[in-house]
Amino acid sequence: MRKSWKRWIDARFPLTSFVKNELTDYPTPRNLNYWWNFGFLAGFVLVLQIVTGVFLAMHYKPAAAEAFNSVQHIMRDVNYGWLIRYLHSTGASAFFAVIFVHMARTLYYGSYRAPRELMWWSGQMLLIMLMATAFMGYLLPWGQMSYWGAQVITGLFGATPLIGDHIVIWLRGDFSVGDDTLTRFFALHYLFPFLIMAVVVLHMIALHTVKSSNPSGMSLHAKDNIPFHPYFTIKDFFGLGLFLIIFCSFVFFKPEFFIETENNVPANPLQTPAHIVPEWYFLPFYAILRSIPDKLGGVVAMGMSIIVFALMPFLDRCKIPGGACFRPVFRAMFYLFMADVVLLGYIGAQPPNATLTIIGEIATFFYFAIFIILPFTSHWENRMLLREEKLPDAARTLILEERYIPIRRDEKKNGDAP
Amino acid sequence: MSGRGAFIALLFLVVAGAVSASSLPLADINIASDDRSIRRGAETVVTVCMNCHNLKYIRFQNLLDIGVDRDSLDLWKSDKDLNAPLIGYTPAAMALDIYGVVPPDLSLITAARAHGGRYVYSLLTSFYTNDSGNSDNHVFPGIMMPDVLGYSFASDDKERHDIEKSASDVAAFLVWAADPNAGLRKKIGVGVIIYLLILTLLLSIWKRHIWKDVFKSGSNSA
Repeated sequence: MRKSWKRWIDARFPLTSFVKNELTDYPTPRNLNYWWNFGFLAGFVLVLQIVTGVFLAMHYKPAAAEAFNSVQHIMRDVNYGWLIRYLHSTGASAFFAVIFVHMARTLYYGSYRAPRELMWWSGQMLLIMLMATAFMGYLLPWGQMSYWGAQVITGLFGATPLIGDHIVIWLRGDFSVGDDTLTRFFALHYLFPFLIMAVVVLHMIALHTVKSSNPSGMSLHAKDNIPFHPYFTIKDFFGLGLFLIIFCSFVFFKPEFFIETENNVPANPLQTPAHIVPEWYFLPFYAILRSIPDKLGGVVAMGMSIIVFALMPFLDRCKIPGGACFRPVFRAMFYLFMADVVLLGYIGAQPPNATLTIIGEIATFFYFAIFIILPFTSHWENRMLLREEKLPDAARTLILEERYIPIRRDEKKNGDAP
Repeated sequence: MSGRGAFIALLFLVVAGAVSASSLPLADINIASDDRSIRRGAETVVTVCMNCHNLKYIRFQNLLDIGVDRDSLDLWKSDKDLNAPLIGYTPAAMALDIYGVVPPDLSLITAARAHGGRYVYSLLTSFYTNDSGNSDNHVFPGIMMPDVLGYSFASDDKERHDIEKSASDVAAFLVWAADPNAGLRKKIGVGVIIYLLILTLLLSIWKRHIWKDVFKSGSNSA
């Protein structure tokens, strides 16, 4: 019976072979550590956001006069509405936390390098789409911070030369943020997750073409791969358990941690809050924006601070595998960069003052300087380490023998996968 | 680097992004969350605060959830529907005339201020008479609201103590009003976390079991 319906489907759709090739027999490096769990977690949070978001949309009213009240209606009158809303609001922060760790892992282990450039760039696109979605979603509760955050950020587009004012009006649908802005942000906030889903599919197709990178950074021999299922299904679910413990601690015991107090005051176009701060995940970029005294310059710097990651495959000229593992200079730069991002995040959260502005300017300079010096340090590192024989023998042999051309070797090796 | 390290890093990122605490001179007090404080606070809010303030997201019937008895409720709502929201007795236009501002709705006031419960308590117990003989407030200088609990004219410590207790009850009620499901949420949360701890422990045992035959290659530097 079971066999017969499988045969029926397989004659029409490659179900069995798909499950076999992409899941049960999908070759995965056995040495992946727990930093490799975060891609799966990001996928989980995306589904969580879509599911909770759909249920919120059933009770939410995207109109300036109704929006704030309808959120309170969800919180108070809808059965377990508070749970759905807190899962969604905490989920937004969790999404960024998971994505930032996922990106940091990619940077640390050099997973952006050949042949995974398209994975890195599709991931970059996902980050930008996620930021747009989160920004538009933040307007929907229609609190003071929602309103003024949207007012400030849409206003940034006014820095565009010549047509700036037109772009701002086109974005807002009005001269200032209002009912029309809310309605279009709601429509787009509902649309974008499905576009994200589509790009995630591209990200996954690319992944299953080049396969996972691994902490050693070398392309492993077939015998070093193990099937994804059951080894990584169980590992991912164990990681998910740990993630959920932290996530649910926030959802059930400290959900207001991620909701700005000012946002519990209904939007008031006539009263600017004393201190407008974006959500924590935008703070480092916001600090960069504020560090440049010129408006257009600030906007360009903020945009560059996100887009510059896409250049990593070109900037990093070192061919030593394993990312930061075997590269002391790159490792130091990685940790300094992380510290710099945290510092910028702190500055972004504070009201501007003279001292912090100077520190912010230095931190912004440092942020970009790291990317600018990377081609030189990585090239130097490549030569030094290979010459001075400081690499582990295995890595050295692999580099010298194979000239580190993973793509061609991979194709041959896949023939004799387990 | 380990899984635990990842989560510590994640938490660190979150905490680093948190906005710094408020700098107001707030009293260092724990606002009670027991039903009796909340009920006493409800009485003060309905009979005193609602002379000017609304609590439009709270309905009279919600007060039954915190154990207010039907007789008090009937007295408070008089001829209003059980399903009616808690609307103050002074129309907004009249309040605007008298005070120059519309008194804010109190349903979300503790959520809309940093350390909301402590803020309300401190505000109510920070009234004083300034040099020119007018009522003012340390937490909210220039406040238009009168000293309704009478803290600034209390004559002895016992009276001040009673007003402090009353202010703390009002704060307890308003904390409840801002998030009436908080109690249920925490109760469910304990069960959820216990469930997840057991589940994760089992998953960890299962993971070890599945992975026990896998030889870890020496190139794993992590």
